[in-house]
Amino acid sequence: MKYFKKLVRPYIAWSAVVIIIPLIMMLLYAFTNSGNSLLNIQFTFENFKRFAEPVYLNVFLKSLKLGLLTVAICLVLGYALAYIIAQFKESTQNVLILLVTVPMWINMLLRTYAWISILSDNGLLNALLSKLGLEPVSMMYTDFAVMIGQVCDFLPFMIIPIHTSLSKMDKSFIEASYDLGANPVQTFFKVVFKLSIPGVLNGVIMVFLLSISTFVIPKLLGGGQYVLMGNLIESQFVSVGDWNFGSAISIILAVIILFAIRWMKKVDAADN
Amino acid sequence: MKRLAKISMGVYVALCFAFFYLPIFITMIFSFNSSKSLTKFTGFSFKWYQELIENQEIMSAVWVSVSIAILATAISTVLGTITAIGLTRHRKLVKEWILNVNNIPIMNPEIVTAIGLMLLFTAMKIDKGYVTMLLAHISFCTPYVITSVYPKVRSLDNNIANAAMDLGATPWQALRKVIIPMIKPGIYAGVLLAFTMSFDDFVISYFVSGNGVMNISMIVYNMTKRTNPTINALSTIVILVIFIAVAVVNIIPILKRKKVTVNEKNN
Amino acid sequence: MKKIISLILCLVLVCAISGCGEAKPVLKVYNAGEYIDTSLLSAFEKENGCKVVYETFDSNESMYTKVMSGEQYDIIIPSDYMIERLLKEGYLQEIDKAKLTNYDGIIPTLLSQPFDEENKYTVPYFWGSVGILYDKTVVDEEDLEAGWELLRSPKYKDDIYMYDSERDSFMIALKALGYSLNTADRDELDAAYDWLVKQRDAVNPIYVGDEVIDSMVSGNKSIAIVYSGDAAYIMSENENLRYFEPDEGTNAWIDAMVLTKDCQNTELAHKFIDFMISPQNAMKNSETVGYTSSVMSVFEELKETVYSGNSAYNPRQNGENDEFFRYQDTETKKYCAELWTKVKAQ
Repeated sequence: MKYFKKLVRPYIAWSAVVIIIPLIMMLLYAFTNSGNSLLNIQFTFENFKRFAEPVYLNVFLKSLKLGLLTVAICLVLGYALAYIIAQFKESTQNVLILLVTVPMWINMLLRTYAWISILSDNGLLNALLSKLGLEPVSMMYTDFAVMIGQVCDFLPFMIIPIHTSLSKMDKSFIEASYDLGANPVQTFFKVVFKLSIPGVLNGVIMVFLLSISTFVIPKLLGGGQYVLMGNLIESQFVSVGDWNFGSAISIILAVIILFAIRWMKKVDAADN
Repeated sequence: MKRLAKISMGVYVALCFAFFYLPIFITMIFSFNSSKSLTKFTGFSFKWYQELIENQEIMSAVWVSVSIAILATAISTVLGTITAIGLTRHRKLVKEWILNVNNIPIMNPEIVTAIGLMLLFTAMKIDKGYVTMLLAHISFCTPYVITSVYPKVRSLDNNIANAAMDLGATPWQALRKVIIPMIKPGIYAGVLLAFTMSFDDFVISYFVSGNGVMNISMIVYNMTKRTNPTINALSTIVILVIFIAVAVVNIIPILKRKKVTVNEKNN
Repeated sequence: MKKIISLILCLVLVCAISGCGEAKPVLKVYNAGEYIDTSLLSAFEKENGCKVVYETFDSNESMYTKVMSGEQYDIIIPSDYMIERLLKEGYLQEIDKAKLTNYDGIIPTLLSQPFDEENKYTVPYFWGSVGILYDKTVVDEEDLEAGWELLRSPKYKDDIYMYDSERDSFMIALKALGYSLNTADRDELDAAYDWLVKQRDAVNPIYVGDEVIDSMVSGNKSIAIVYSGDAAYIMSENENLRYFEPDEGTNAWIDAMVLTKDCQNTELAHKFIDFMISPQNAMKNSETVGYTSSVMSVFEELKETVYSGNSAYNPRQNGENDEFFRYQDTETKKYCAELWTKVKAQ
């Protein structure tokens, strides 16, 4: 039992340096104002108060909505795909999972540019529609375009963990369920899905974390109107140069997400 | 009924892959475009491939991206896997703390991680370049490995490893021969995610790098003013190489098997 | 399989470690992305037996963030207002013009500008303006008389790209209202904010970044705010487009080469600056990049040959209402950023 306890030590040391120290710096920035020197620090809540303005709350709600919607769509589409992939024989499964990941190795910006050329008003899809004698549809700069880009980018992060937990599932549970008279639907929800919950939870958390802080895809496919937490923070750090406010926003974001994850894990614990 | 289910499953998989590969396919097509546009195809040409080969900056960026991705993935896979294994042996409180800390790099907007690491490396007086980029990549890849491996370890029966050791295996043997094989799918997932995150990263690499060390993403992002199909040509080559590799790895065993059966028949 | 993996790892590691080690003099240049003909760099390396470490940035601000963090460069090529800031904060050193044989070729009107009145620290690289790019088959010529107000004409609803940057958007609103684009007056900024909000409600513009270049080439919308250099390129790809600088004035800009305090090998750095403004190299550079050259002879020639009829290559010089961006104090910057977020997100 005790043997492997020590294995955590390297990571504790490592994360203390590359995660905790930067985190402390961010906290320092968040609770101070610009122009402070280390000698006479004055702490303030001003940066946090600023966030309470309706415009920033709006931005937060929009990010949250987008994040949750992305998670929901990825979960439905991704679970189905992971489930089907898990039915193949093992070597095929590995190849299929690899093929799910390969598109991600092409630069995200390039993939998004490709979506622009597919979806734009004079784009490929509309050219196809007009060849078929149909009316062109305006798709760029809509929620639809943003969702397409987001789901295409994040789906692998849902599929991979779900597949991991489905792939090594003990088939005897399923047989037992049938033997006990359960129909396929019951078997799926009461046995298969339940056993895959760790993977689902993992995928949900990963996609949620990634999608709530992203902004490049929404900005390119939805236009600059898509102000999200990610671009708000980025612009504070880079173009405005207000690191204090930027740090405060990212800490607010982090705290909210931590609570969300806690809540999700509680749901998981209650389920088991 | 069963056939119908099989067919609809096949259709679904095909549709999903079409969705994943549509943008890639478009990217590849435009690598043969004769003009700079990424939206309008004006004619067929190989000139972007020629530019790619002549472009020193891109070629060295390819090397940086690939080598950093491989090294960062290898190191973070080892680090992440042993951490995940060790974690399950700890009390709930320690576990939760480490997992929460572990989530920070995943959930922080990249710019925050980037600025944090930039300040850290500056404070530590490490010369910015290849090494800082590698360290930064390890730091944001490891959490993905831990997140993928940990659930697998958790679902593992602790008694199995203990039994192995009771039967005389050293802890190292138990780890290698018993635990690792059982959590393999999790490690595989971790490797894939870590490699992906490293290969596609821009923001963090940009702020922690220096001295002319650039990866592919940095070049692409700085090209946004005049994105040109040279990068598409590169992507096309990347995709082709991966597909050929996958095909070779999967076809060779099949061919071998065939040969064996043919030989057997002849005998 | 395992052996193959460990072999690959070892190879990568060995190559990564052994990749360095040359003793040639090194010049570190930091420039905007896609803003140079890279063949010039290798030509310079050959000519001087040195190595040019060339890095690029995607905005003046991210360049500043890196420089501020202690990253060292010899030559940087930022924009006017950022030069003013770097100068103010003591990042630059003087350029010795006696060492520049081609300095006399620079267009005189580009010199002695507010960010460097005595021409001690800067050598102009590219220059231009910000204007409206429009599709002449859609936009009526007479509507142009409205100037910036064109951007609020309901006739072109859903057909306009704005630039997603607070400084450029406020510039438009301030100029349309007849104010200075460098104003720090809260009432004027609030008025500009109202102008932008009304525009948003009236025409539903899309706020975009550099992807506007490709979108305008394929003609997705008929009006866009662009830099003159980008306009010149877009117009060369799509002949329906025209470039227009409203009489109310616009933002005139100059990107210039500066020498940093950290630069040790100033001899080599001066050679590089001189190299870039030699007529022959400047010609190559301007032709490839598409931005307007700062060298008189090159500008005159390209205007008549490659870019004849392309008004964006010939931006307005010394327009009476045109202004350069000046360094903006942090308070004003914060205020504008907040208003801009409100324009987009509320």
